Parts: sequence; C-alpha cells; structure tokens
Amino acid sequence: MKKIFAMLLALAMVFALVACSGGDNKAADDKPVKIGVLVADVSGEEALGFRAYYENYIAKNYGVTFTYTEQLADAAAEKSAIEKFAAQGYDAILSLSSADRATQIETAAANKLYYAVVSGMLDDAQFEQYKSNPYFVGQIGPSMQTEFDAGYAMGKHFADQGVKTVGIYGAFIPNPMHVYRTAGVLAGLGCTYGGASDKDGIAGQLFGDQGVDMSKVACGNVQVIGYFQGFGDTTFDELFGIVGQAPDAFLSVGMATTFFAEALNGAHISYADIDSFTSGNAANMKDGSLVYLAGKYSSSIGPIFAATLNAIKGNPVRDENGNALSLSQNYLVATDSAAFDSIFNGDKGDNPIFNKEALDKVIGKVSYSDFAALVASK
Amino acid sequence: MKVSRRIIGTLAIPCMAAAILLILCAIGGKSMIANATSFNYFVQYIAIVMITTMALSVNLGSGRFDFSLGSMAVLSSVLAAKVTKAILNGGTGSAIVMLALGILFGGLLGLASGGLYVTLKIPPIIASLGVTLIYEGITFTVTSGKYVMDEVRNPSMTAFAGSWYYPAILIAAVLALTIYLFDHTRFGYDYRALQSGQKVAVNTGIREIPNVLWCYVICGALMGIVGFLNAARSSNINGGALNFGSIGIMFTAFLPMFIGGYIGRFSNDKLGYFLAAVCMSMLNSTFAAFSNEISASMQSIINAVLLVVFLIYLNNEGLLKKLFKPVKA
Repeated sequence: MKKIFAMLLALAMVFALVACSGGDNKAADDKPVKIGVLVADVSGEEALGFRAYYENYIAKNYGVTFTYTEQLADAAAEKSAIEKFAAQGYDAILSLSSADRATQIETAAANKLYYAVVSGMLDDAQFEQYKSNPYFVGQIGPSMQTEFDAGYAMGKHFADQGVKTVGIYGAFIPNPMHVYRTAGVLAGLGCTYGGASDKDGIAGQLFGDQGVDMSKVACGNVQVIGYFQGFGDTTFDELFGIVGQAPDAFLSVGMATTFFAEALNGAHISYADIDSFTSGNAANMKDGSLVYLAGKYSSSIGPIFAATLNAIKGNPVRDENGNALSLSQNYLVATDSAAFDSIFNGDKGDNPIFNKEALDKVIGKVSYSDFAALVASK
Repeated sequence: MKVSRRIIGTLAIPCMAAAILLILCAIGGKSMIANATSFNYFVQYIAIVMITTMALSVNLGSGRFDFSLGSMAVLSSVLAAKVTKAILNGGTGSAIVMLALGILFGGLLGLASGGLYVTLKIPPIIASLGVTLIYEGITFTVTSGKYVMDEVRNPSMTAFAGSWYYPAILIAAVLALTIYLFDHTRFGYDYRALQSGQKVAVNTGIREIPNVLWCYVICGALMGIVGFLNAARSSNINGGALNFGSIGIMFTAFLPMFIGGYIGRFSNDKLGYFLAAVCMSMLNSTFAAFSNEISASMQSIINAVLLVVFLIYLNNEGLLKKLFKPVKA
C-alpha cells in the first residue's frame, strides 16, 4: 500500500513538474519583449525621430516595450545602464550610444542580453572580434566608407558652388562616424590634412589629434575660417567666432539644426548638415538657411529591430559562417525643400518606409541574403 | 581722492585692455568686432558677464560663497520658458514674458536658497552645494534631461537675440537698479554695515536675517536674467546638467569680479563690474577672431592665468608701490 502511495505521489509530482514546465515554455513564447535602448543624445533631431519610430510605431505594431536610458555620458554609464536592464529582465539592448562599444557588447553578453548596434557600425577590428559572439545580433547603418563619402559629397557640393570661406563643426569627434564625415568634408573641399588627402590618411590623423588641428589644414580655393567640436560652455563663443566672420557656408557633420539653427538663420549663413529627415530640418530647409542635408530617415532603424526580435525569438540571422549581421545603409541627400519633403513625407507616422508590411518579410526564420536584400531595397 | 585720479583709476584697465587687444588683432590681421552680428554678441556677452558678476559679488562680498548661481539661472530659465510657452505658445511678447518670469522664478529660488541657509545655520558654501544639487535635480526632472529648445525658439526670442539694444537696455537697467539699491536705500546701508562689521551692525539694531534673505532674492533675480540671456543667446537650455554641471556659469564671473572690485576703489564697484565685463567681452571677441589659432582649452588656460596674475598683483600691491616709490635722500 505504501509502495502504491509512493508511486502515485511520484507520478503526481512528475505531472506537476511537466505541467509547470509546459506552462513556462508557453509563457516564454508569449512573454512581452522588453528592449533597452542606450542613447547618448536625447534631444537631437535624429535621436527624436528614431525614438518616435520605435515608441510610436514599432511598439504599437509588435507589442514590444522600449525603455530609453537617460543621456549616457561615458562608458561607465553605458555599462551601468546595461546591467540595470539585465537586472530588470530585459531581453535585448539596442545601442545608439558609442562611448565604448566593446564594453557594451561584453556586458550585454555576460548578462545574456542580445545586443545590436543601431544606425552605426563598429570599426573593422572590433567587428572581427565580436562577430561570432552569439549575443551580438549585428550592426546596420552607414559604414565608415559611407560616412566618409557623405562628408566628401557635402564638401564637394560647396566647393563646386564656388564658396570661398567656410566654418566647420566636427560634432562629437572622436566618435568614429564624425571623424570619417569630417575627413570627407575636408577632402571634398579640396583640403589636405597633415599632407594627407585620402580617407584613411585624414581620419587616422583626426583620431590621433582627437579633433581638427587647424595648423594641419591646407586648402586650395576654399578657406576654412574656423572649426570647433563638441557641445559645452564655450560652444557658442566658438560658433559666434565663426558667424562673426560671415563665412559663405557653415558645414556641420551632425546636429547643426538642433544646436545652431537659430544663430545661423539669424545671421543668414547657409548651412549644411549630416543628420536626419525630421520636422526640424524640414522647417529649416523651407524657411531657414539649411541648404544641404545628407540624412537618414527615421525608420531606417527598423531592420535592426527585426533582427533583434528574431534573435530573441530564437531565429537569429547569421551569415554562412555563423557570424553577426553587418549591413551598410546609405544616406539620402536633399538640397531643396521639395526633395526633402518627398523623403520626409514618405517616412512619417503610420506609414514609414520600413513599415510593418516590409519588416514582416524578415521577421521569423529568414536567410542572411533575404535580410540583406530588404535593407538594400529601401 | 582727486577727480582726475578717480577717472584715470577707473578707465586705466579697460583702456589698457582695449589697446593691447586691438594691437594683437592688428598684428594678426583680424578685427575684434568684424560686423554688426559680432557687435550683437559683444553686447550680449557684456550683459551676461556683468550681471553674473554682480550676482556673485552680492553674497561673496559678505563672505557667503554661493555655488548655486548657475543652477538658479538654469532652473529659472527652464521654468520661465515652459510657462511662457504654455501661455503664449511662442507668440508675440514671448521674450519679455520669459524675462519677467525668469526674474520672478530666480528671485523665488534665491529666497529658497537663502531660507535654507538661515534656517539650517550651516556654512553657506555647504548649503549652496546642497541647493545646487537640488536645483539641478529639479531641472533634470522637469526636462527629462533633454535640451529645452522648442520653448525658446520663436520670433520674439530670435528678435531679442539678434539685436544689441535689448541687452544694452538690460545692462543700463540692472546697473541703475543695483546702484540705487545698494548705494541709496536703507537696505544698501544695512548691507554695507553688515559687510564691514557684522557684530557691531547687529548690535546697532540692524536686522541681519531679512537683509541676507533680500541679498539671496536679488542674487536669484539677477541669475534669472542671466538664464534668460543664455537661453536667448544659444537658443536652448541644457536640462541635463547634473553633479555640479551648472557651476561653470558662475566661474565666468571670477576674473571680472576682482577687476571690477579694483576699479570700484576709484569710482563705484557696480560701474567697475560693468567695465570689467567690457574687458572680458573684448577678450572673448579677440579669442573669437583668433579661433583657428587659440583653441577653447587654450582660452580657458589664458583666462585662468589672467586671474592668477591679477590676484598676485592685488595681494602684492603694497609691496609693488614700496618698490617703485622714489627713495628720499
């Protein structure tokens, strides 16, 4: 009798465990996805456009919770933010912050969080180091070559127009994308930097100098009358130093409208920026003195979300060697309000360029080539 | 002191500074003030430096070191900008309403800061550090750490930022008001009496606490103006400054405060702060003209060296006079 009772008890426990286990699996499948987003910029035009797309469109259509960090100032803040997300049971990290990508990836992986670089890229050596890490989903954004090309096209545009004097804003050098954009601007204007005129020659020195050393700039027909970077107590003194000399154009490699539009519009100085197709830039291209914009559109960050969601759901997108995604996206350029609006209006509200219909094609089991084809198609 | 000596003493430093900086610009082939836009910035900078210096000197002159000036400027301007936007939505008169509200909120923040100091009776430097952190935290909470931009970008603010005469009017008004308040009212007499001998002044019946509170209110109101001017100048307010990130606003005022104090010996200290602000603005414009040659970090070093050199001079003034005094046979 005792044996029968013991067997019944054991059977009951086994059933209970199986039932619990089955319940857990179901819960895991249906569990709401929570993604932490690392941001170094909480106010810029581009950052706000990206945020609106994730929080208003993606969250609504895919039932995903996005939690944004505060403005992350340094690598320690990035690491701390990832650890907090991990402690709160988040599934993945999407990173728009680039103080220390390597530590971000290692921290995310150590905490079993999927990690993806949004709208940017690691440098080649870093990507080689982490591409096989199973928690590293990948990177989709302009490559460093694309960044250089965008800067080059902008510089050349103004050189071809015959401008004689320019001021340059280097945004947040040594952020790699800003380094390559600035290198491109200098090359496009026909300038050399420390004797170099090629991408790697200029960018390498900019990394070394942590900015533009004006004594190393030598230009032909165009004179660079002033350069500054960063944003702090002296930024507006530096801007006004340039504006006071009334340059023919002001070339910025990021966030010009966010920071300087009022001052530049007020002084009637034509300016160019590498930023995003947002309402602020639209207004300044229409009524202000923004005359050239190389930009991303807000929903360009849709595919990296899809790849991350796939990884969370157990369908990671890897290449034939099992490595993480790495896909470059190009910039779109507008030099007048009509061209700007045609891009901007096609990526707004409930019908972004990367809408649900487009993203659904690559959510689930999908090959690397199919995924790459979607990114390249827009 | 003879009138001629007073005039020479008052104008010596500004004239010397102008001469040196103009010569440097001429040698470098630059213009200190190249055009009308540069002149606008020149006058705006004078207003910001002069008013910050006055605010700093109000309490520092009485031995109360106040670190919270920058946080008052930021918080008052954020609150003023948000309320103004809510009322006028960027319409006509936004600038003047924001300025008035900035002064009001600045005064209230100053009163709260002073109230904390007189209630807790802890050293003012410690109280001001705490107040700074609290005000920065409130600012961060109100703005979510973002730059305040939409609220300060409207035609009214653009018009204010694009002219020299509005800041010039502010300079004249603040100068006249502070001279009246501190030199021609009962409050000013009490302030000076407390400054030169606190115990004696209190024993003669001067009420110290109301005087201290008024000092903090005036200081806060002045920083409200500074917050407004900074917002107009840069068309944004940084809402993300935490952990004493706002203190930098105050440090622009140290050198002009000492220069102004020195000039004030020959005339009036408030006039001295104005002339010192003119000197600082000329220096700032010269830095701007040489921006390719002198980086922002180098400018900070030059400012710091000038401050140290001037303090060395002030501390050894008697010795220098003795050295250069003709020896009597």
